[in-house]
Amino acid sequence: MENVLSILFCLSLFYLAITSRVKGYVSVLQLQGVLLSIIVILPFLKNFSVYGLILPVTLILIKVFLIPRYINKIILDLDIKRVIEPTIQQFTFLLLVITSTVLIFVVSNILSQNTELNVIPFASGFSAVVIGIYVIIFRRKLIVHVAGFLVLENGIFLFGTAVASELPMLIELGILLDVFVVVFLMGIALNKISSTLSGFDVSILGRLKD
Amino acid sequence: MFDLFIFILLPLLTSVFCYFVKNLRIQFSASILVSVLHLALSLSVFTGYYQTNLPFFFGIDSLSKLFIVILSNVYFWVVLVSFSFLKRPVASKAQEGKKYYFLLLNFYLTANSAAILSNHFGMYWVAAEATTSSVAPLIYFYRNEEALEAMWKYLFLVSVGIAFAFIGILFLTLSAKGTSLEGQQLFFWEFIKNANQLNPIWLKASFIFIFVGLSTKIGIAPMHTADIDATSNAPSPIAALMSGSLRITGLLGVMRIFQIIQPTSSYEFAKVILIIGGLFSVFVTFVYMFKVNNYKRMLAYSSVEHLGLITLGIGIGGLAFVGAMYHAIYNSITKAALFLTAGNIHRIYKTREVDKVNSVLNLMPATGWIFLLSFLAISGIPPFGIFFSEIKIFEGMLFSDKPVVLFLTMFFLLFIFINMGRIIFSMLYKKGENDFQEVDKKQFRLIHFAAILLLILLVSIAIASPDVLYRNIINISKDFGINL
Repeated sequence: MENVLSILFCLSLFYLAITSRVKGYVSVLQLQGVLLSIIVILPFLKNFSVYGLILPVTLILIKVFLIPRYINKIILDLDIKRVIEPTIQQFTFLLLVITSTVLIFVVSNILSQNTELNVIPFASGFSAVVIGIYVIIFRRKLIVHVAGFLVLENGIFLFGTAVASELPMLIELGILLDVFVVVFLMGIALNKISSTLSGFDVSILGRLKD
Repeated sequence: MFDLFIFILLPLLTSVFCYFVKNLRIQFSASILVSVLHLALSLSVFTGYYQTNLPFFFGIDSLSKLFIVILSNVYFWVVLVSFSFLKRPVASKAQEGKKYYFLLLNFYLTANSAAILSNHFGMYWVAAEATTSSVAPLIYFYRNEEALEAMWKYLFLVSVGIAFAFIGILFLTLSAKGTSLEGQQLFFWEFIKNANQLNPIWLKASFIFIFVGLSTKIGIAPMHTADIDATSNAPSPIAALMSGSLRITGLLGVMRIFQIIQPTSSYEFAKVILIIGGLFSVFVTFVYMFKVNNYKRMLAYSSVEHLGLITLGIGIGGLAFVGAMYHAIYNSITKAALFLTAGNIHRIYKTREVDKVNSVLNLMPATGWIFLLSFLAISGIPPFGIFFSEIKIFEGMLFSDKPVVLFLTMFFLLFIFINMGRIIFSMLYKKGENDFQEVDKKQFRLIHFAAILLLILLVSIAIASPDVLYRNIINISKDFGINL
């Protein structure tokens, strides 16, 4: 089951590569949030406990509702244009994404021969990290950068479940909260940037140089 | 529980208190009280008067003892000057920044103390990320375009960097697969004890990811740019806080993984990476110093240089490691003094450009002299502490298996000193046409007082060389497998 969800997660990354609308990014984030929540909730279906529900519920709350809504609100408030303004052609980008993903799957498979690894979630998570970085590098809009950062964070989360690290609940919650606060601050900064610098893309950030 | 309360909960409560009480004077009084308590407790923990017993994911060892003292010392001075700093007239836009100043400062203390005292990688990560989000709004204090850009870059780059460090932490869990550590909590000491069992490939990957990720926070080249922008555009007390304490906190994470890697076969590999990072940082500063046009940037680059030196010392090991630990203390004190006086210059001249600042010694003698002394201190002129720690680092390099590093470092440092000196002397002595309406020639402010005390502290630590400090640093070296 986890494998199926991870593959869906990977497909959402491909969608990310071809969509040219900011809204598309937000929906992908929402979808990834849902997938991650299901992955986290699966082990608790067998032995149900209320305590075990805290993390998945927080995850859904933050990744599916709060953050996407917040980003949508910023897009509406700032009246950001709906296209993402890529710096390279969409097709090249898709090619890059596919090559990297394939490469990561092959490498993870080789690595799994030495270490016991859950290859599909591991590789999907790592692909999301790499693609998040690509989004940050090859897109001009700052709001899309925030989305890229969140894809990267989602990737790390999935990756974490694959590694089966036993992080205590308190710390998992702390991580989620930290990410939320950072995105919240980024939103505030974006608001200020659009009002004082009147623009939303990286080209306006060129004042500070050596 | 008492220590946990003072170190972490009390600053947090004060930060909540500052949200509700709007009066700046009351906020300041509460904050200074907290910082004094924090300093007193960390000093008594350091000297051994108070035995700590921290619960949950916290614990204390020689390394965190040293770093918590560094943090509370810098924090105390920063809070002390903050009120007089906030009272200065600023642009109307910046008024808004004052409201949350002490709130964020207290939250920063909570987060940074938690990061230093954590003995669990997860806890360290959460706390280190929290320091980023507490410091980012403080960078935006002046509410101008440069500060905004600096804040955005810092927030974004450091968050991505810290995310990378988290991947490193996950790799560390992977390296424990099939050993007795599998499925265990990520406690530092557990990993240090069983380091030999860890899978070397994943351990190396983990080290690289944690080092590269955290170097955005430490400000080690080539990931230093966001840190430079942030430090040079933040208000001077915040710049002092970042250079003096926040960078060290990033370094702590790298040192933890280095400590784990130390007994394994990957030790040499990690050492080489640290040496490359450190040397490259010194080199980047060396190049920058030929084209300085902004004195706050220059000081920020000086932080890159000194953190580079510390990393270099840790990487070389032996006596250089001891020197690096001393250097961490001296650098934090000197940087606080330097940034506070630079802030004073900025207040009068209203510019950060080197060309527009001249005859500082004539117009503001007190600030000028302190700035000169701080420059001498940071350049490693005796009797200031940095001289002694640098000598130790150099000696360690000379007797290590890589003496060529010493020659490179000394070459770079020489030119950094010459170029920085040229800039600073032109700021201090060069005659210019500056007419200021309200130059306070005779005025002696709290900031001067603080900077002088910091310099005295620097000299007296170096000369008195307290036994407790020496023993603590030797203990740290022992923890890192260095026997002198």
